[in-house]
Amino acid sequence: MSYFLQLLVSGLVVGSIYALAALGFVLIYKASRVINFAHGQFIAVGAFAVYALAVYLQLNVWLSFGIALFFTALIAYIVEKLFLKPLVGQPIISVIMVTIGLASLLDGLIHLTPFGGGNFSLPRFLPEGGVSFFGVSVSYPQLLAVLLTALFLAGFGWFFQRSTLGAAMRAVADDQMAAMSLGVSVEHVFALAWAAAGITAAAAGFIVGTVSGINLESLVAIGLKVFPAVILGGLDSIPGAVVGGIIVGVLENLATGYLDPLVPGGGTAEVFPFVILLLVLWFKPHGLFGTEEIERV
Amino acid sequence: MRNPWAQTGNYRTDYRQDTAIFATYLEMLSLWAFLAVLLALPLFLSRPQMFVLDLILVYALAVLGLNITTGYAGLINIGQAAFVGVGAYTAALLAPSLPFWLTVPIGGLAAAVAGGIVGIPSLRIKHLYLAIATLAFQIIFEWTVGHSTILKQGGAIPLPRVEFWDYRVGYKNHYYFWYYVILLVVVVLAFAFRNLLRTRFGRALVAVRDNDRAADAMGMHPGLTKIFAFALGGFYAGVAGALYAYLSRAVVIEDYMLPVSIKFLAMAIVGGLGSLVGSFLGPAFLVLLDLNMEDLANWLKSLGLSYAGVDIASAMRPLTFGLVIVLFLIFEPRGLANGWRLVRNFFRNWPFKY
Amino acid sequence: MRKLGVLVFLVLSFAFAQKVHLMWSGAITGPTSDAGKYYAQGVEDYCKYANEEGLTGGLTIVCETRDDQYNNANTQRNFEEALERGDPAFLGYSTGGTLQLKPLIQEVGMTYIPASYHIGNIDPPDSDYLFLPIVSYSEQVIALLEHIAKEKPGAKVALAVHPSPFGRAPVPDAREAAKELGIEIVEVQEMAKGLDYTATLKRFANKGVEYIVYQNVAGPVATMIKDARRLGLKIKHAAAHYAGGPDLLRLAGDAAEGVIWVTSYYMPYEDAPGAAFVKKLGARYKRPADTVESVHYPSGMLAAAIAIEAIKRAHAAGKPVTGDAGREAVYAEMLRLSFDPGLAVGPVTYSEEDHVGVDHMRVFEARGGRFVPISKPFQSKLFRKVHYGK
Repeated sequence: MSYFLQLLVSGLVVGSIYALAALGFVLIYKASRVINFAHGQFIAVGAFAVYALAVYLQLNVWLSFGIALFFTALIAYIVEKLFLKPLVGQPIISVIMVTIGLASLLDGLIHLTPFGGGNFSLPRFLPEGGVSFFGVSVSYPQLLAVLLTALFLAGFGWFFQRSTLGAAMRAVADDQMAAMSLGVSVEHVFALAWAAAGITAAAAGFIVGTVSGINLESLVAIGLKVFPAVILGGLDSIPGAVVGGIIVGVLENLATGYLDPLVPGGGTAEVFPFVILLLVLWFKPHGLFGTEEIERV
Repeated sequence: MRNPWAQTGNYRTDYRQDTAIFATYLEMLSLWAFLAVLLALPLFLSRPQMFVLDLILVYALAVLGLNITTGYAGLINIGQAAFVGVGAYTAALLAPSLPFWLTVPIGGLAAAVAGGIVGIPSLRIKHLYLAIATLAFQIIFEWTVGHSTILKQGGAIPLPRVEFWDYRVGYKNHYYFWYYVILLVVVVLAFAFRNLLRTRFGRALVAVRDNDRAADAMGMHPGLTKIFAFALGGFYAGVAGALYAYLSRAVVIEDYMLPVSIKFLAMAIVGGLGSLVGSFLGPAFLVLLDLNMEDLANWLKSLGLSYAGVDIASAMRPLTFGLVIVLFLIFEPRGLANGWRLVRNFFRNWPFKY
Repeated sequence: MRKLGVLVFLVLSFAFAQKVHLMWSGAITGPTSDAGKYYAQGVEDYCKYANEEGLTGGLTIVCETRDDQYNNANTQRNFEEALERGDPAFLGYSTGGTLQLKPLIQEVGMTYIPASYHIGNIDPPDSDYLFLPIVSYSEQVIALLEHIAKEKPGAKVALAVHPSPFGRAPVPDAREAAKELGIEIVEVQEMAKGLDYTATLKRFANKGVEYIVYQNVAGPVATMIKDARRLGLKIKHAAAHYAGGPDLLRLAGDAAEGVIWVTSYYMPYEDAPGAAFVKKLGARYKRPADTVESVHYPSGMLAAAIAIEAIKRAHAAGKPVTGDAGREAVYAEMLRLSFDPGLAVGPVTYSEEDHVGVDHMRVFEARGGRFVPISKPFQSKLFRKVHYGK
């Protein structure tokens, strides 16, 4: 029982990181219908920004984190203005391809910093060890991961429900034409959605940095894990992103715990979420919480 | 009077003329001249250069396939490298017992079957969701190969040397021999690609891309059409994979992973989606860009242009690759093929003004 | 004036000395670039040093490091270019690329020194021209198992391997060796980069695993070690060459304490001529601290040193060192090469049967944030018995 519980809790921790990453992804999709293949790179930008500030400039970790959030948001904002804005109204494939191009471009830019290759780890700012209950152990960084994720989700929930800007963003997501005719600047909202996604990406990067090490490749790989999560939850649903992320995290852990011994070589966690993804697409194409599109000829 | 050498006006009187491949003799002549140049090219190139040329042609085949699924039918495919891999592994497994002129088409067929299976979800889902289904196929393919002992778990499966009647292929003539084989396949499949749009099936692909409900109303089956698009695109990819397996003399999983799929997409975009000429220009452009970046990188390195822990040279390739894609999408979404179109239109009624 | 004289001398010697090209093709970007980056720097620096210090027997060796991005097509093209140019030997990198090129290497007869220590590289077929710089992954892992069997007879062991040919390489030999040693391999688990290995570790713990042996890269190993410590597991960790090293210490911090590691190279802080040499070269070519600390830096040097030594000897014997004849001459030298560049814990020796350069390795243990050698240089007899049946 404690085995199962431990798998569940660990899955929850990893899942909350995926949820945070998925949140940024959904923010962009919801506002502008863009599938962002460069999301992993934004996570990397955030993580390395924290590292650079905390290690090279010797700043306090939390201060570094704050600055990194702002910095990544700014980068995402600039990226939208420079590369996405000219493509408004172009076919989907162009927009998808531009984010794929951006992923490579950002990779190249990161290679211009000392972070291109190699492994880094943030200075430790949390005490050793962690808490244990019912034979389940969770380290402080992992606890922080869950808390931060919850905090960000609550923050964004509030933002979308209560603030004017949030309402404007929801309006654009609902119906661009109607929003525009009511005086909402759609361009502004698109850029802000990217900035918001940048913030969540930086948060995800920071959390990965505290929980494990940071390395460009593994951070970019998280950008890929986002896909099963958002498909499961529904591409345009914020609660869906959270639930999807957590489910994928838990599924991965259960796969490792129960499936791996049955498969020679193991490593089922790599592929299991994608099998689930295919099944979801087959039986519930718009995910658990996604909006079903009604089409007319 | 209609001038057979220049298109100085629209003289078409029936549909047959409208769907003719060559509008003027000049076009036909230039194609024959181009083919003659291609046939003679190996006389002037060294072995490494031949390898690059072979590579471009094989990539062009895979991109042609992608241009059927993504260009014609509008189904975004992020798993083209996996289809190429299916063809390559099929060829590698059959190569010890069958001659290459059988394994290559069988490789294509195997990938076509895989394409049909991956296309099944398109009966229900579309657009972005389908794109992600192809991504899932790519990941599942990589994992499956890694766990199959018969596929050496992703390690190298060597292919035996090819004998063709009395002609033995050694390392000295390897790339030259395969160049002509690949060229033959490319000409046949490119011709088929060009003709596809003149058939019922080809036009159904475009109709479904533009509006699948409308196509449905007009009596086409959107789901089956999409599956057909995946299967046909897979066939091209599989043939490319089988040829690539012979070309590189061994199949290793790294050649068929996600970054390669993305490279194919980039080639299709840079060349111009749905364009025959673009399917060749895109791979050629990106492969040559990559080579030149290497020279540029080495030159930068020789200038000592690097600072603490950073190798500027190594950043150049991802940087330029990404930049090229982004710039093309923003400034020339129709790809290199558009440039080709402008040139061709200029010569269409040359030397007359219109 | 003296400066001018030196310059003129350099220009003249450059113009008159016969030029030999030597190419390295590996991943400076892309997967495994965290190792490839330093390996390339090692190749470059040793090459410059050898030319400047006259260790090349009057030849000018022009070394070129190419970034193949872990892409086999790039490796193949680089190899073809080297072949066309008449290079006498080639420095390779990845397991996949090397395995793919084997038939071609055999056919053209080019000496090939990969950075991958996969035993399959030098196993037949088509393996005559492949030479490993140091002991293979299989031998490293078996050495770790031997160490474990000594420390705790009958121990239960799990193998955590990289999901690639590189990771899977030593598994069959390790199984055989475990039988011989009377220890039990409970499970072989492929582990890619992940954020959390709790599930894997808990499962290992439930099965009573006492040791985990890693054939992997440092990143995932560090996360796993940290997780094991957090879970309070009494599992000990043992890492093969690419799984351990300074990278692991930097990533895992205190949690790495007590980790066992096996390699053939020296650590820069050791009191050994090899370590001093690496530091000297790092300082001379202004490499940052992380390069000098990295175990991949001397690895690259060793590969370059072996190729340069063979080329030099072929030249000294009055043989041509470029083109078809050059390949033949250098290969002949490789087969009787025996010298000690001092970069690793033993001399480099090759023969018809022995395609492993440095046959010795040492076991290290992480103590106080450093890997400290806890054994004398040794060879694994068991490996020979298991793999070759003698």
